[in-house]
Amino acid sequence: MSSSDALLVVALMAVVTLATRFGGIWLMGFMPLSAKVEAFLRYLAGSVFVALVVPAVARGGEAAMVAVGVSVAAMLVTRKAVLSMAIGVAAAALFRALFPGIY
Amino acid sequence: MIPPSIDGHGLPPGGPVFTMAGVARGMRDLLPVSVSIVIFGVAFGIAAGSAGLHAWIAVLMSGVVFAGASQFAALDMWQEPVPWVPLMLAVFAINARHLPLGASLYSWCGRLPVLQRYGAMVLLTDANWALSTIAVERGERDVGHIFGGGLTLWLSWTIGTGLGVAIPGITLADVQRYGLDLIFVTFFACTLVGLRRGRIDDLPWLVAGVVALGSVWLLPPNWHVLVGGLAGGVAGMLQRGERS
Repeated sequence: MSSSDALLVVALMAVVTLATRFGGIWLMGFMPLSAKVEAFLRYLAGSVFVALVVPAVARGGEAAMVAVGVSVAAMLVTRKAVLSMAIGVAAAALFRALFPGIY
Repeated sequence: MIPPSIDGHGLPPGGPVFTMAGVARGMRDLLPVSVSIVIFGVAFGIAAGSAGLHAWIAVLMSGVVFAGASQFAALDMWQEPVPWVPLMLAVFAINARHLPLGASLYSWCGRLPVLQRYGAMVLLTDANWALSTIAVERGERDVGHIFGGGLTLWLSWTIGTGLGVAIPGITLADVQRYGLDLIFVTFFACTLVGLRRGRIDDLPWLVAGVVALGSVWLLPPNWHVLVGGLAGGVAGMLQRGERS
């Protein structure tokens, strides 16, 4: 990606994100969030993460499955996100070292 | 996290203010969280390098966007030509959770002068929202607390990213050998484990996963994130209506 494209991506991301930070309190000024909209927004975040993970794992093959499976298991046990990510990534690296043909 | 009541319960007497003392209290209250944010920042810096971002672009992104999950998502779509619309919609969808967070702070910040009101929101994230909301319950009325907490997080995230991109000598071969290309997917998987509130999330998340997978085959590249996410959000909204 060219630097000018990259800069524009970053600038647009910043504007969009700032709009979400300002939007809540701005909207409340004249139109309180309904319970329905609030429920939608609350489910949206988790669903977006699922929509990112599932195809990435399907596309990433065995190593991605190992990484996700191990990190989720570690997270369930330790509840420490960074530690669990590291364990999952290390497990995938080990898997790739042991089975160099498979990705 | 579910925002508490938005009707002004528990507001301390005397009305809200925005002072440097409040900023300092917020900065201090978020310090314990900052260590893990620095480490997350390092992970993002490494992942950004693996995805082909220049070091300075990655640090700039952390500085001006300051929203980790959406930044990781951007790495997944860092390609030529840039998928402008899917990328920005995904960023919006991921960060739309700020909307209920900000709305829940209206009773506290809504009547302040414009500069203070939006100043308190400019560094709003899940973590300082949570701790400032707790602080209100023990009598905090200074919205500087939200900004100060955000400042600690912002410094940690940006410095962490800088450290991550500064780790020398990581080549593309290393990225695969050490599994660094999988940092982003483990990040989202672990976030989901932390986010899950119980069975109530099962159906929306299942819908999101299935629709996302289907979209990979049926839609142009990169739309699966938004379409899957929207489907899950709608499923959650309908499920909620069904039960109440």
